Amino acid sequence: MSRPVDPGSAGDPEGTPASKPERHYAPDFLTQLFQDPLDPGYADAAAGRSGDHEARTWRWGTLRTLTLVTLVVTGMLFAMAYRKTVAEEPDRSQARAGLIAQIHEREKDADDLARRTEQLRREVSAARSAALTDTEAIRLRELEAVTGFGRVSGDGVVVRVADAPDAESANSRVLDIDLQKIANALWSAGAEAIAINGQRLTSTSTIRSAGGTILVDFRPVTGPYEVTAIGPRQMEREFSASETAGVMRRVVQVYGISFEIADADDLTLPAAAEPQLRYAEPLVTPDPTESGAANGSPPTGASPRPSSSGGG
Amino acid sequence: MIPVLALVAGIVLGLYLDPAVPAPLLPYLPIAVVAALDAVFGGIRAKLDGIFDDKQFVISFISNVLVAGLIVYLGDQLGVGGQLSTGVVVVLGVRIFGNVAAIRRHLFRA
Repeated sequence: MSRPVDPGSAGDPEGTPASKPERHYAPDFLTQLFQDPLDPGYADAAAGRSGDHEARTWRWGTLRTLTLVTLVVTGMLFAMAYRKTVAEEPDRSQARAGLIAQIHEREKDADDLARRTEQLRREVSAARSAALTDTEAIRLRELEAVTGFGRVSGDGVVVRVADAPDAESANSRVLDIDLQKIANALWSAGAEAIAINGQRLTSTSTIRSAGGTILVDFRPVTGPYEVTAIGPRQMEREFSASETAGVMRRVVQVYGISFEIADADDLTLPAAAEPQLRYAEPLVTPDPTESGAANGSPPTGASPRPSSSGGG
Repeated sequence: MIPVLALVAGIVLGLYLDPAVPAPLLPYLPIAVVAALDAVFGGIRAKLDGIFDDKQFVISFISNVLVAGLIVYLGDQLGVGGQLSTGVVVVLGVRIFGNVAAIRRHLFRA
């Protein structure tokens, strides 16, 4: 690495300092820089001095003092730079600590808000079940369970995957695609509800990675990952026999990731975050005259009417 | 021997007095340090080559520090301060490296 810098290997007459004062004008600046890093002024001065050096002893004394002053200044410069670097260090770690504190604070805020959402949602569903008839309420609960927007409990399986203990390479880590495949295999094995580390999956959930972190519905999850699924009895057997489980077992053998499937009873999966409302239209008011008029008149085509089976 | 003592005295003075660097000059301190290092190693090498010259040393120190600072200042004004300071550090680094290699050959014959 140091070879191009080392003038000794370039074969110039380095060994004899006496032949030094000859200046060679290299064709370009960088070549000269690499061949002879010493300021050419030293050689010039040495050449000029060889003749008369008795005549300027007083100047010699002043210059010597100047040299020493320069060295003192250099030393002070080093010390100042050292001081500055040391002084900046706490600033840097302070800024870092501040950022970490902010992250924790915001995470706490987000958790509080999530709890409040949960509470409000419970109130809403209580109010809703009070307002709805029994059959409608049951139907709504079933729909919520299927779509992932209601808490469900039941028996099922727990799939645990974790990074290899010495996870240096990306291959010995659990990837987002592993979790995707596990979730899909569980769905196809008959799962009715799935959660990853307590994050309920819906039909529009995303499992992806960003910067080495796996995000489930844009919320980071960290290993060990626990994919919980509620479903029929034979789901565990079917999942174990699935292609994904086979692939994961091979990954376990090759890369040391841990992967285990266990039957579990009485699982409770939380509800997924409320989906963003994108489209809504007012329900038809049960006003007899208006509904009669609406039924009687031909459809104007102004807006699609909610079908009677789609309410809920 | 005396120059080494002067350098050590400077370091001690700097650590004790803790002189305040004016804020506008603060960004140029690292570059000034590299430039000063270049002058010091150039001086040591010239000493070992037997061609040390006080005037040359003083002038090379001052001009090194000033020119390096000026180039970086100019770069800052033009918006290429980072790149220019990299250039200055590379050129001075090559010179320091070459001079240290020469010093090494003088001291260890290797």
